[in-house]
Amino acid sequence: MHIKEFITTIPVKKVTLRDIVSFEKTPINLLIAVMTLLFLVLFAVGITTYILHGHHAYNVTKEHPWGLLIAVYIFFVVSSTGLCIVGSLGDVFGFKDYMMISKRAIFGSIITIVSGFAVIAFEIGHPITMVIYNILTPGFTSAIWWMGTLYGLYMTFMIIEFVFLLKHNMKMAKIFGLTGLLVGLAAHSNLGGVFGFLNARTISNGVFYPMYFILTAFITGIFLSFIMYGFKYRLKFDEKATLLLTNLAKIQGLLIAILMFFVTWKMLSDVYGGMPNRAEVARHIFSSATFWAEVFFAMVIPLFIILKSAGKNIVGMFWGSLIGMVGIFFMRYNLVHDTQLKPLQMLKTSEYQLVPTWIEYFPSVTEVMISLGGLGLCLFLYYMGTKLFNLDE
Amino acid sequence: MARYGMALDYKNCINCKACETACKEENGVLLGADNHRIWVGMKEIEGEYPNLSIASNTFYPSQCQHCDEAPCQEVCPTNATYYDKDGQVRIDADKCILCSYCINACPYDARYVDDRTNTVDKCTFCTDTRLARGETTTACQNTCPTKVRIFGDLDDPNSEISQVLQNREHFTLKSNLGTKPKLFYLI
Repeated sequence: MHIKEFITTIPVKKVTLRDIVSFEKTPINLLIAVMTLLFLVLFAVGITTYILHGHHAYNVTKEHPWGLLIAVYIFFVVSSTGLCIVGSLGDVFGFKDYMMISKRAIFGSIITIVSGFAVIAFEIGHPITMVIYNILTPGFTSAIWWMGTLYGLYMTFMIIEFVFLLKHNMKMAKIFGLTGLLVGLAAHSNLGGVFGFLNARTISNGVFYPMYFILTAFITGIFLSFIMYGFKYRLKFDEKATLLLTNLAKIQGLLIAILMFFVTWKMLSDVYGGMPNRAEVARHIFSSATFWAEVFFAMVIPLFIILKSAGKNIVGMFWGSLIGMVGIFFMRYNLVHDTQLKPLQMLKTSEYQLVPTWIEYFPSVTEVMISLGGLGLCLFLYYMGTKLFNLDE
Repeated sequence: MARYGMALDYKNCINCKACETACKEENGVLLGADNHRIWVGMKEIEGEYPNLSIASNTFYPSQCQHCDEAPCQEVCPTNATYYDKDGQVRIDADKCILCSYCINACPYDARYVDDRTNTVDKCTFCTDTRLARGETTTACQNTCPTKVRIFGDLDDPNSEISQVLQNREHFTLKSNLGTKPKLFYLI
């Protein structure tokens, strides 16, 4: 079939401007609509400020070169990988109960990665140079090169899979879905490798992050599934959705328990032996409010909701997932910030005896505006998706 | 091909900052950009007033270590960071995408963003300036009043730096990381 002909056969609903602004004017819908518009305006203001002032508009420094935008990029791509895993359960692995969520989750994985790219484009100093020299002089030993390149491929596969899902061509969807999933997992573990390869930063160095990223992606994907279905059903779930979400809640319980086990051992091994540049950073992390926000919001509260009802309280889990996503945000922010907490001291023995002065960082208004803009873009694209495509079976 | 390195007789350092000034002048580093390209680290005086140990107040000149196994080179996604023919770690500003991964990966805090090119920069051993003109010294070495710095070819057994390293004990910074720096601190 000719490619042009193929594209014309993709089922897309005809949408006019009137259709876009016509939604049920409930207080919550209006709130989300206003919030989305506000965030998009902030995005435009943030980008303009960045274009005028460059990285000076951000609070990043020589000592703390990665800030909020890197964390938000990670937040979005983790969400994307997570939704890709959830979406694959049905159309790639053939679990029937999960078929109904495939299309919505894969669409979610596309828009979250697009939002992630939209944010990182204003963090990377020269994004166009990146595209050119990623191809001309690739740095094969760089985890960033692999992560970026594989994510580019992953997004392409996700879009193709989504098109085949729309066309109900399940065989092709499965092929591209499986390829996309494998490439996505490779990309995402490389994102963990970006931190894991930092020999200079003992707190993040090692094999932990590549695996942890995959685990937390799955958890994020399930949180987002609850949020998407919660809004779709207005918390009045039918039998099929109840079955799907109860199953997902049970998986989530197991995953969060594994995550807590992982994090406990990570922190224990960081503190054990008092290794310079690692133990004192870990102790400093223990004393930070954002770490406990991550633990309670992303782990303890959702796990409590799941365990209390054996996964059956899916309305509770909707709220637990909203709290969980706040926790996931802190998880990403902490990962980026905590890696850079300790100054890179220059001479070995004597300076370790000095009390370390921790490197301070708080995001600038521009960084916050661009980050909220990414969220606004994600909400806007999701809304457009619900108008343009049939995201259900 | 030479393999340039630098030995630092750091106990001679008097923290006059002539090296920093000369470096800024030679390489066009912006004024006010402290701790950029080269700097002098200072260990604070130990003890409590009035019992201060003046001898504990030592200075550590530092800069890019020009590692043989440079972490910044390994992590660069576009190979903007590279080793030149003389073993110096250099940055091709045209290829730099300012992802800041190298700044994060360098264990020596040696890299910074140059506000004029909006790309990462660092010490180049005056490759683009003095060495390009055929001179065999760096600006910081040339200006140092107490002869802290000895710059030269590590592969030439007769060079001053090779002789010094042969005859005097020395160490490199964070050698446990396996980066094989070419900046040697003389004991």
